Amino acid sequence: MDDLFAPPAYTWQRLSPRYRSLRRLTTLLVAPLLFTVPALLVGLLTGLWWISAVLWGLAAVIVVVRFGLVERTWRAWGYVEREDDLYITHGVLYRSLVAVPYGRMQLVEVGSGPLERAFGLATVTMKTASPETNATIPGLPPEEAARLRDRLTELGEAHASGL
Amino acid sequence: MSLPPPPLPAAADPATEEPVAPVVPGAPVVKQTERPHPLTPFIRGWLVFVAIVLGWSRELIPDGSDDGFEAGDLARVLPYLGGLVLLAALVGFVSWYFTRFVIDDDELRLETGAVFKSSKKVLFERLQSVDIIQPLAARMFGLAELRIEVGAGDSTLRLRYLGRARAARLREYLLARAHGRRDRLDDASLALPASAFTDLSAADVPLITVSPQRLVLGFLASTEWLVTLGFLVVALVVSSVYGVVAVALPGLIPLVIGAVSVVGRRVVSMYNFTLSESPRGLRVTRGLTNLTSQSVPVDRIQGVKTSQPLLWRPFGWYRVDVDIVGYAGGDSENNGSSATSVLLPVATAAELAMAVDRVLPGFALGGIELHAVPRRARWVRWYDFWTLRYGWNERALVTEHGWLTHVRDVVPHAKTQSVRIEQGPLQRRLRLADVHCDTPRGPVDVVAHQLDTAVARELALSQLDRARAARAADRERATSGPDRSADDGLLAAFGTDRSQLLGSGGESEVFALPDPERVLRLYRAQPAEALAVATQLQALYRSWAGVPLAVEVPSTHEVGQRAGRAHAVDRRFSGRSFSGWLATAAPDERRQALLSFLDAVATLPALPSPVPGFARLVGPDALRPYDSLVELLDAMLAGPVQRSREVLERDVPDVARVWQQLHADLAGRQVAPVLVHGDVCPPNAYLSQGPDGPVVTGIGDFSPHTMHADPLLDLTGAVAFLELETYPGAAEDAAWLTSVVLARFGASPVAGGDLARWIGVYRRFYGFYFSDTAAVEPATYAWCVRQLRA
Repeated sequence: MDDLFAPPAYTWQRLSPRYRSLRRLTTLLVAPLLFTVPALLVGLLTGLWWISAVLWGLAAVIVVVRFGLVERTWRAWGYVEREDDLYITHGVLYRSLVAVPYGRMQLVEVGSGPLERAFGLATVTMKTASPETNATIPGLPPEEAARLRDRLTELGEAHASGL
Repeated sequence: MSLPPPPLPAAADPATEEPVAPVVPGAPVVKQTERPHPLTPFIRGWLVFVAIVLGWSRELIPDGSDDGFEAGDLARVLPYLGGLVLLAALVGFVSWYFTRFVIDDDELRLETGAVFKSSKKVLFERLQSVDIIQPLAARMFGLAELRIEVGAGDSTLRLRYLGRARAARLREYLLARAHGRRDRLDDASLALPASAFTDLSAADVPLITVSPQRLVLGFLASTEWLVTLGFLVVALVVSSVYGVVAVALPGLIPLVIGAVSVVGRRVVSMYNFTLSESPRGLRVTRGLTNLTSQSVPVDRIQGVKTSQPLLWRPFGWYRVDVDIVGYAGGDSENNGSSATSVLLPVATAAELAMAVDRVLPGFALGGIELHAVPRRARWVRWYDFWTLRYGWNERALVTEHGWLTHVRDVVPHAKTQSVRIEQGPLQRRLRLADVHCDTPRGPVDVVAHQLDTAVARELALSQLDRARAARAADRERATSGPDRSADDGLLAAFGTDRSQLLGSGGESEVFALPDPERVLRLYRAQPAEALAVATQLQALYRSWAGVPLAVEVPSTHEVGQRAGRAHAVDRRFSGRSFSGWLATAAPDERRQALLSFLDAVATLPALPSPVPGFARLVGPDALRPYDSLVELLDAMLAGPVQRSREVLERDVPDVARVWQQLHADLAGRQVAPVLVHGDVCPPNAYLSQGPDGPVVTGIGDFSPHTMHADPLLDLTGAVAFLELETYPGAAEDAAWLTSVVLARFGASPVAGGDLARWIGVYRRFYGFYFSDTAAVEPATYAWCVRQLRA
């Protein structure tokens, strides 16, 4: 099935396993936090605690489902540096493959939030003149992110062409 | 150290200030800056006044609530209103007082701000577009705003307001500089008087004009309007059935305002829409109240979108939008005064084909085979699966979709930013996927929907290869021009340099040499071909050496080839370029000089020809004898017409008939051949100051146009090519000179009985002969089209 999204004659570079751990942590944190605030508000203001229970139950379901998907989401990510372009694939339900020619890259960004830093991870984002180009690689070790940034910038300059 | 030359003669603009000369020698030169037109604060105050009145008039509409203004309240608010307007005018005055700008041969700089000073300096190469906008209030005073887009839409400079002529001149200058040409601001060719109603200048050739009838009818039938109107009618009917109109009015008013703004956007601001070819590229002018004139940078177009609402189908109408980097950024189509992406609001199929061919030349989009998508796509796109199409050739990718409004998107491969394959869960079960071809922000959105997975993968991966190949081909096209650095070496070898450029034309560039009697001519063509031409000219000039003639003709001292360019060292004419002089001369002086120009042209037949019969005298098949005039001229036309056939068939409705008529006319012409220059225009003539005023004393630049043929060819050229001069009054001068020719030569034996008719015939000959200039000299080509349409 994955033929559609396989890179031609290359194998995908995968993300760091630590990204999987990060995703598990965020999965455990985000939904319960999001649902707890309204649940508490409803319970404390109206006394209808059964509504709060439903909300917490919903949060639990979401956590379980997403937790089960983390492994597959992590495995769905991949990128490959080809001779003239960079391929990135991601997504489990909604799958996507984006190919960006090096000559079209206008900007390469490396970012790392506090959680990502705690896990020793960084995100590389590539921008072209098109706002629709969605070329982001999360969950890279910082040294790999820096290497990728420098290499992409270098290749971008070598292949650069005007608009 | 001296001051740079003032941008314009001081009398041309009341806002121009006296230059501030440096007092201390060696101190930095203080540039002459200028302010916008002094009426600016007044107009900006007026605009604020109009905005306030419009705002209040909305409040005055009874809306069922009782807090609205009564008419009697108006008297109370009037003082406040006046105060506000005064305040706005004061702010406008301060802003005007502290706004200064410089546009000269070195820089473009704008300084603004009373408290927080800001100074913006722009590199000419970074200019994206220069538009002229005339809001109604400014337009009534003959003022215009110059809007300058810089970089990829990240910055806009607005010069408010300048005199209309000044704005037009600055635009021409800036556009010339943006194209890398080092024109000077005092260059006369920039003085193009523009019409106050259409903003078309004399050199602009309208390609497509959208008539008001078509615009309005197309608007009424457009899906956008029908949907807006539908909402309004339904809301009105529902609220009146339930008898709640008065209560629902506050809700209805935004709907009405929405409908009015659609009218404003699609009709008022698109009124008199004209797409024209100007000497500096494609241009759009439009607007009923606010007049906008906007250049379309063809090489920066990222994609083209054609759409056709359902009800336009019986009329065969289309709307064309283009993606231009930077235009979509501050997209405010609704105020009707800024740049839009609309290339044609309502166009027929023929106009559509012409416009698309102009912005994507050589793409052969008609030949693209479009493929349908698999039938199983109906489960996902049940509403329009039968309209989905995709296809490509080696230049562009095309996709189509929609039936309520049928949309066709085209993106040149070279403009592809990135390629994506997207697939949702349902598509996955159906083995379908979408392929997106990402382009910069704008109306064009190329997506091949619902392809079979194998096809989608193939399309996406091969698209990158096509994009790469197309970019390489574009680079090839961009760099194939002559090598400038090699030229510099060649010029240095002759002791001159690029600053010594005296003139440049289609065939060659001429440079001054240290020897005041000589000039260096560098040919543009392939060295072998140009060398042959230069050698033939040298021989021709030599054969004229002893002929006593009232005017100077060229002579060649040396012909050679170096650094891949053929060159010749020619005699330097005394006097200056007649064309340059005409642009600055007073009208009465001009006519005197034109008479002497006519005299000079009339002496050319005295020059001997190396062959007795009809022949070309220079060029690949020079000296080949032709039995008749029509055979010679037919051979001269063969090359140009072959190259221009396509554009002529597009631009001249009955070109085949014109062509046959010309041949029939020429076949009936009886004349003994004489020497004909073939291109006697003011740029090829030289003028000196004689004792009785300016006199044309030389005719230069003989070329492959030179032949042994009908003397009327040069008489026609002398009057007809004058129309190509860009100074104001050139057309009147040409008409006047024609009447002089008719009076002087009408009875001569060469006139063939009806001189006016023969001048008309040869005008059409030249119309065909120079018609292959569409790409390099649009103004010449436009002149040709006028000759052939006459």
